[in-house]
Amino acid sequence: MNRRKVTVAVAAAGVVAGVAGLGVLAMPAGAGPAPALPQVDAQSLVESVLTAKPAAFGGTVDVNNSLGIPTIAGIPQLSDGASQIRMWTDGEGRARVSMPSGSSERTIVDDGETLWTWNSETQTVTKAPHGDAEPDAKPELGLGLGQDGKPLDPLSLARDVVGEVEKTSTVTVDGTARVANRSAYELVLTPKPTERTVLREVRIAVDSELRIPLRVAVLTNGTDEAAVQVGFSEITVGAQDAGLFRFTPSASAKVEEKKAEEPSEQDKAEAEKVFGQVAPQVVGDGWDSVIVAKLPADQLTGLQAPADEPGRSDRPRRGGADQTDPQALLKQLGKQVSGSWGNGTLISSKIGNVLLADDGRIALGAVPEQVLTEAIGQLK
Amino acid sequence: MTTSTSARVEPASAGSTPVLAARTRGLRKTYGNTVAVDRVDLDLPEGAVMGMLGPNGSGKTTTIRMLLGLVRPTEGEVELLGRPLPDGAAESLPHVGALVEGPGFHPFLSGRENLRRAAAFEPLLATGSVKQAVEDALERVGLAQAAHRRYRGYSLGMKQRLGLAAALLVPRKLIVLDEPTNGLDPAGTREVRKVVHDLHTAGSTVLVSSHLLSEIEAICTHVAVLHRGTVVAQGELAELLQADSSALQVTTSDVDSALNALRAARISARPAEDGVRVELIGTTAPAVFRTLVQADVEIQEATRTRTGLEDLFARLTEAGESDHLSTVDTIEQGAR
Amino acid sequence: MTTAVATRAPLARQLRSELRWILRRPRTVIGLGLLCVVPVLAGVGLWFAVDNAGGPAGPGLAAIIAGNGLVLPIFTLFLSLPLLLPLVGAIWAADGLAGEANSGTLRGLMVAPVGRIRLLGVKAFGIATMSLFAVTLMAFVGTITGIALFGMDGMLTISGTTLSVGAAVGRIVLTILLVTFQMWAVAAVALAISACTEHPLVVMAATMAGLIVFAVLGAFSSLDWLQPYLITSAWDGLADVMRDPLPTEGLWNSTALAACYLVIGLSLAAIRLVTKDG
Repeated sequence: MNRRKVTVAVAAAGVVAGVAGLGVLAMPAGAGPAPALPQVDAQSLVESVLTAKPAAFGGTVDVNNSLGIPTIAGIPQLSDGASQIRMWTDGEGRARVSMPSGSSERTIVDDGETLWTWNSETQTVTKAPHGDAEPDAKPELGLGLGQDGKPLDPLSLARDVVGEVEKTSTVTVDGTARVANRSAYELVLTPKPTERTVLREVRIAVDSELRIPLRVAVLTNGTDEAAVQVGFSEITVGAQDAGLFRFTPSASAKVEEKKAEEPSEQDKAEAEKVFGQVAPQVVGDGWDSVIVAKLPADQLTGLQAPADEPGRSDRPRRGGADQTDPQALLKQLGKQVSGSWGNGTLISSKIGNVLLADDGRIALGAVPEQVLTEAIGQLK
Repeated sequence: MTTSTSARVEPASAGSTPVLAARTRGLRKTYGNTVAVDRVDLDLPEGAVMGMLGPNGSGKTTTIRMLLGLVRPTEGEVELLGRPLPDGAAESLPHVGALVEGPGFHPFLSGRENLRRAAAFEPLLATGSVKQAVEDALERVGLAQAAHRRYRGYSLGMKQRLGLAAALLVPRKLIVLDEPTNGLDPAGTREVRKVVHDLHTAGSTVLVSSHLLSEIEAICTHVAVLHRGTVVAQGELAELLQADSSALQVTTSDVDSALNALRAARISARPAEDGVRVELIGTTAPAVFRTLVQADVEIQEATRTRTGLEDLFARLTEAGESDHLSTVDTIEQGAR
Repeated sequence: MTTAVATRAPLARQLRSELRWILRRPRTVIGLGLLCVVPVLAGVGLWFAVDNAGGPAGPGLAAIIAGNGLVLPIFTLFLSLPLLLPLVGAIWAADGLAGEANSGTLRGLMVAPVGRIRLLGVKAFGIATMSLFAVTLMAFVGTITGIALFGMDGMLTISGTTLSVGAAVGRIVLTILLVTFQMWAVAAVALAISACTEHPLVVMAATMAGLIVFAVLGAFSSLDWLQPYLITSAWDGLADVMRDPLPTEGLWNSTALAACYLVIGLSLAAIRLVTKDG
């Protein structure tokens, strides 16, 4: 009798333990108590971030995205929801970034001389010797996200953000936080009241020791939940395995070489041509700056193309999906608006809006619709 | 552990009560609102061959299952080979062989493989002697020739025999056989009787449940009658029958005056062939004779009737409710 | 009489008998045979796909199969994990308790006596061993088929790196262990169901229905909060074994999730078995 009762009790405890285990596993990892760190004022914290030396580290970045923008096939990191990026850097320009999705993966390896891009879905490797096209693109990022499908590196992102908004923002240190098991200061950038923006604040957790951003969260008006949060869930500081920064394409993979001269010149010329035609300009400054541009109607198709993977021409099966009329697609995603400036499509996300006029004018910014229409009206 | 089951039992034998192979007290089992078994106090003396009698649904199988620790009683206690169940099951059950609710085997295995599997889980079998024990058991029930055949293809009788063989894998102290002759032809039935007889001779205790009265009468030393979930009679078969044979067949030509005289003396009697039948309940044979003689009834012959088990069983299980209760009391007193 | 009384048959003998019993079952043999066919069919299918398309043979792991035969065992195991392997595990779990009860042999074991917890242990051991065997067998056939059809030159991971043969075998073994453990978790729950009924079909149907319900629940984005509790939703993440460097966090997580199901399943089975009337 007793033995049976003991057995039942033990087994019942087992059930409880199992269920509790499920609960623990389902719970997001607790942040842990805020560490006690020496006081630091906002100014010197920002400075130390801007002057921090790149460190060697490897880690996993959790991307929590609830922007409300449409899913981008194959790159969950840019789509709504939670995803991960794994990255390693030796602090001397070599880096490896992995973007897992489902049972496939895109890997980018920069071995200092060549940028290798691997896509397991197509079993293709793209080899691009360091040219000038890549670095050129970066400073343009501004407040935005990676435009070219590149991961959201919290380091560069945060640094850009800080520099950009200092003039128009209130910068404070709001206590400390624990991120990826490291102590960090919480740097908060709040737009000044005169800024007409949909953003409420940007919170950056800065590693107390390395002074690199460990986490960036963008919060919008009217919600406590971050619209975007990019942060390390795990980080190992120190020298990383050198093998990580080399890439040897496997024999079975198709390797596409982006030759330095011919195609790049063509690309450049193309890019310059487009750039000239588009003539982007910034209206306003700080939080409410709006980028406005005018695309020739036929370039709307071209706009789509650079975001796509290279080598699309030899993928006839996927071509069908790619060739859907982007105009029609955009109209589906956004809502039709009109005003004194004309007619167009407004695509909204939590952190900003894009307005596409039917005549090819385009305006985007982290601002409400009204500010966009004002800005687009200035472009003739 | 060096105490054997019999070692535990022995101290009990020093007392005046007989050693019991199984003993239940106040056993009760309910399934929801249905009472399957209630107030079962069963005493199974060591060395006895006890027949458990009862109509279908009288609680025989439930009682046996509780006896074997398969079913947990709602109330009451079970002692098996001197050890309480279920805590003592590990010590007592290895000495118990059972064939409950028909033989249970895997259809895709041969008879031999089935027995090997059963033998693998027998605590008392040394690993080295498993094979021999299986062959011996097959031989004993006459299945040696069919041992290689799949159980699926066995006839009902062969299945029954294999079940018996599984119960006989190890020399047992107690063997519980639930309807062992089910599906057996007369020859098979005789074999079972022989097996039970042999077990009895070898000193094992046997508990046989059956609804076949003739079978019980033929092989049992003791009997327990179950009716509506409770034991209505138990004891040595001979004693029970003796106690039940408490009727006098009085042959007389003067039936009417005999009946009148006996009824006046509050003695239960009814007309029978060639005379009257007198129930010796609450009275004795001399008293009956005295009454009849005083009434000037001519007694040509008086014989004590010997009822068979069938009569006893019929009276115990077919009697009306109120009648039944008083009968039980009487019988049980008579049995003790 | 002071002879020592064995109250339990030797455990090794019981376990051996259990394994022999499972292996003698016709349906076990048929099931294992079918499991061997899966990698061959998958391999041949992918081989034609590679030949015809000239590009990737399919999504996910299939995309890197060309010239990369060692991926086939892993591909096949992931292919079989959602339905086929749980079905086989559920069959063994169903036969283990419900089937034995149905054929009347369970009470024979209980009267032998085999203690009920011991009985559960023997049954769990049988199912666990057979699951490991089935998964290993499948991986073995998959490896042979993969090498025969696609050849091998180390193992190309989905991260684009190439592993040495030794490391590749390590990844295959890791996959075997991970998949087996997931199968154990499902089988443990099936065993709990098995302890509650006498009808093996009920066990199989309930287990498969449960998995399908889990898969459906996992497909609703409005039920996202439920995802971390569903054992099925962790299975996609097992593809991590094909990444390099090996990310362990997700694998640990899915294994821990399976362990929770395993503990719950076995505990429920124990409760039921101990309180059950035989």
